Amino acid sequence: MSGITREAMLEMFIYETVQLLEKLEEITIRSEQTKAYSPEELNELFRVMHTIKGSAAMMEYQQISRLAHSLEDLFHFIREEKPVEIDFSALTDLILKGKDFIKRQLTGFEAGTDHEEDSEVLVAEIRSFLEDLKNPKTLPEETGDPAPESDAPEQEESLGIWGENRRYKVVVFFDEDCQMEEVRAYALLHQIKDLVSDISYLPWDITDGSNAREIIQKEGFTIFFRTENPEAVHQRLLATSFLKSLSFEAVDKQESNPEVLPEEEPVKTGPAVQEADKVEQQKDEQHRDDHSVAAGKPRQQSFISVSITKLDELLNLVGEMVIAEAMVVQNPDLKDLRLDNFEKSARQLNKITSEIQDIVMSIRMVPLSATFHQLNRIVRDMSRKLNKEIQLEIIGEETEVDKNVIEHISDPLIHLIRNAIDHGIETPAERAAAGKQACGKITLEAKNAGGDVLIIIKDDGRGLDRDTILKKAKERGLIPQNNKELSDQEIFNLILLPGFSTKDKVSEYSGRGVGMDVVKKNIERIGGSVTVVSKPGQGTMFVLKIPLTLAIIDGINIKVGKTCFTIPTIGIRSIFMPPEHDITIDPDGNELIMLRGECHPILRLHQFYKVQTEKTDFSAGIFIMVEQDGKTACLFADELLGQQQVVIKSLPNYVRQLKQLRGIAGCTLLGDGSISLVLDLSGLLDAFIAS
Amino acid sequence: MKRILIVDDSAFMRLSLKNLLEGNGYEVVGEAENGLVGVEKYKELNPDIVTLDITMPEMDGLTALNEIMQFDPNAKVVIVSAMGQEANVRQAVLNGASNFIVKPFTTEHVLRALDRL
Repeated sequence: MSGITREAMLEMFIYETVQLLEKLEEITIRSEQTKAYSPEELNELFRVMHTIKGSAAMMEYQQISRLAHSLEDLFHFIREEKPVEIDFSALTDLILKGKDFIKRQLTGFEAGTDHEEDSEVLVAEIRSFLEDLKNPKTLPEETGDPAPESDAPEQEESLGIWGENRRYKVVVFFDEDCQMEEVRAYALLHQIKDLVSDISYLPWDITDGSNAREIIQKEGFTIFFRTENPEAVHQRLLATSFLKSLSFEAVDKQESNPEVLPEEEPVKTGPAVQEADKVEQQKDEQHRDDHSVAAGKPRQQSFISVSITKLDELLNLVGEMVIAEAMVVQNPDLKDLRLDNFEKSARQLNKITSEIQDIVMSIRMVPLSATFHQLNRIVRDMSRKLNKEIQLEIIGEETEVDKNVIEHISDPLIHLIRNAIDHGIETPAERAAAGKQACGKITLEAKNAGGDVLIIIKDDGRGLDRDTILKKAKERGLIPQNNKELSDQEIFNLILLPGFSTKDKVSEYSGRGVGMDVVKKNIERIGGSVTVVSKPGQGTMFVLKIPLTLAIIDGINIKVGKTCFTIPTIGIRSIFMPPEHDITIDPDGNELIMLRGECHPILRLHQFYKVQTEKTDFSAGIFIMVEQDGKTACLFADELLGQQQVVIKSLPNYVRQLKQLRGIAGCTLLGDGSISLVLDLSGLLDAFIAS
Repeated sequence: MKRILIVDDSAFMRLSLKNLLEGNGYEVVGEAENGLVGVEKYKELNPDIVTLDITMPEMDGLTALNEIMQFDPNAKVVIVSAMGQEANVRQAVLNGASNFIVKPFTTEHVLRALDRL
């Protein structure tokens, strides 16, 4: 292949194949539940495998190609023959195994290996499944023997009719490896059809089977015919592509007579070809009808794929533009000037920039459906292994979130679903005893709520066991010293703490040492939050609250000395100016503040970041109480500047290399052009507590 | 320079063919991801040669072939198909396809299938 590197081809191959596999899995799992494939779905499945087969062969991945081929055959058979009795769960297993195999290879290729595993065992399994479908044990008769159809040789027409025409014999050899020789032979006949008459050829069965292919490869394709214009026929034959050699000779009657052609190999005659054509045309018309029905509802729009780095860049630029716009419109030079026309234009500019911002954000939005549907597979596999009956209901899969967010929520969702299946849903026997339906239900729901997306994972299982959690938490020392009565809600929240796991035994699926705290951490990393609600005997519900996008956050700007900080609004509990007497100093010299009966440490930002400021007296500044990961602190700052949406940019490399900055997530530009540091509350609080 | 339209539902295949053709003195003037778009593009671009996949969504290659031939009886259509599609290829030949290539193809196959058109 010239022009483009193999790497680029490989990237394209992997990208496309992964998408096809996802489609495959989605259809397969849906069909297992409904126990039927619609004709469109079968077409789709067939096409998926067909495409993978072709692409893999081009990339010289023989194992993938072979596997895809065997699955393609399987789908083809099911589509054409519509077998009645299909073991859907076995079929689904097989398809998913195939999908996993290909996926595994792709992951390998991505990691840089170029080696494929051997797919032979799997291919054999698929083939034998296909054989079983073809020959159901209950109906031994009627299969096996192919219908005679129109291939039955017709009587050869009497040779006398054609009178003066001379008879010719042509032997054609095609290039080795030109493939589908029998179809080429067929095409060749078609080429000369209008010039010749009384045509017969060997091998005769060029419309069905590889038998003819082999003979043509070894012995060539032999045609007898009559014509008045041998020169024209010769020319046309010579124009055939992939022609290796051609012999063209006139023969007399005796030689061409059936004695040359053995009795048991009947010669197919011209009219028979036409007959066969007619049959095929009819078939084709039916075929086309099927397709026009399918084409009735357009499935695809026109999409282009864009590299994510370009989108990141675009988003960055739009962020810059929003800032630049603020810098122009709020420019200090314009202060106290009356500029009616300028105001008008500025408003127009503002309108357009915010529209662009919306569009760019929406480009980065991806529906959750792919993430959700991969969970189908987990539910299916696990419930089979654990002998539980579970139905997964998905609501609102079309809800969209930022591409970066998607990458971060996939693992937490898998973890939560596994937990729900393993710990939440009871066995059918237990459920029956509790008076519930045998089939458990897990609901996965996504919806928009303001600037956030809520993802709700709800099961109707046994619910969280309050007492066990409490006991465990006490054993692990997770309960604070001031041991008062904890509410149910507080107890349930304990399971989100690091080091908590109620399962002593590690099962295959959940409890691999990764606890709920990891889920919580992952979600919080993207600015989200987790809440648990549970009712004994009725089930558990996890609500993940996730921001629509990562790059732009709501923040409160504060000032310390000459430095601006931006605090993510989501972490702020309250902003206040406390009365002097609420502030105390403990014996170690730590400053504390009493707030609604609770003590919180005070974090002087000017001290922490060593910023020069005149406002060191608590009465001169302002307090911002922040909370993250269950830790709280009251930040002390000089003054509040206001609230705005900010675009977070990472700190320049030279700043990061210079020294380790604790508690800074990045920086942003404010409307007046000054730089503000965006606080990373989780890092800040950790660093503060450690000091 | 011969102007080519590539019709194939696989972006990978289109890329492969495009590379191959452009590296060998052909100009790829358009690509289409299904038969429907393919026919439209044919009418719009009037290419010298079309390479046409058979198994595609929306409109398959056979139907597209018929529509193209109806629009332009002299259209040069080369079917690009895979093993197992023999019946469809035969049908395509009957319906006016000029030649066919079998996937996986080599550069030589493609060039030989195209150079006489």
